[in-house]
Amino acid sequence: MNVERRWHVVRFLLTSFFLYLVWLVFTASLEPYSLIFGAIGSVGIGALTHTVFIAEHQANLRYIVPNPLHLVLYLFIIIAFLYQSSVMMLRAVFTGEVSPRIVHFRTRLRSDVARMILANSITITPGTITLDLNDDHLTVHWLFCDTNHAKAAGERVKGRMERFIGNIWP
Amino acid sequence: MAVREWLALVAFASAIIFGTAGMIGMFRFPDPYARMHAGGLLGTTATFSVFIGSLLLAPDRATAARIVIIMIFFLISAPTGSYIVGRFTWETGLPVWKPKKRRNITDKEQEK
Repeated sequence: MNVERRWHVVRFLLTSFFLYLVWLVFTASLEPYSLIFGAIGSVGIGALTHTVFIAEHQANLRYIVPNPLHLVLYLFIIIAFLYQSSVMMLRAVFTGEVSPRIVHFRTRLRSDVARMILANSITITPGTITLDLNDDHLTVHWLFCDTNHAKAAGERVKGRMERFIGNIWP
Repeated sequence: MAVREWLALVAFASAIIFGTAGMIGMFRFPDPYARMHAGGLLGTTATFSVFIGSLLLAPDRATAARIVIIMIFFLISAPTGSYIVGRFTWETGLPVWKPKKRRNITDKEQEK
């Protein structure tokens, strides 16, 4: 069994396992009928879609499998960010005090999943929306911009979140 | 009413406030980027508040678990949606709206 084939099998197993987990949560029943059909469905869909679900070049398990403790912690942090940013946005809508600008910076995260989560988190945090993500280069629209310095802007926009996500997917 | 129901009421009320503000922001801001901030972000928070309210009123654990799963999927899908719109706008080359009077900017920059 060569390396490429083994990587296919690992990806297929991970995808099927994830699908089966979601199936169990959504059906919330332990009847044999439901369990068997869930297994057949998740294996079938896993066989068809594992190449899309986990990209071939992400050839390291630590790029894909998250640290569960930090992941749950991060979920709560993101919810706090969501409400904080909404209150800021609420104020901006009524006062109209904004200084929009496009900023560019790079991220040091290596995994595709982590970069996607970082882009989504930037959209959630106060006054920033990710416009483009090319490999490690992010284009961000910042509504409350107060600096011209690219590195300082990157630190203000993503600094804390990048460290948190770095703990989840190293 | 129980404490749980009062908390749910607060969540639903904040959903109404955020949703209305998002709508107002959509009409107040002049360019798509700023509109997306208002519409996308406040819309996400409004929906999220409704989810939190229904989580508080969930009759049993199985329903609560499903609501949590839906919340997580929503946290992934909502920013992705506004990212798609934002990327398309950015690709068309639309310049960013600059308000006449800028806040939080150095004096040197204002002279230009």
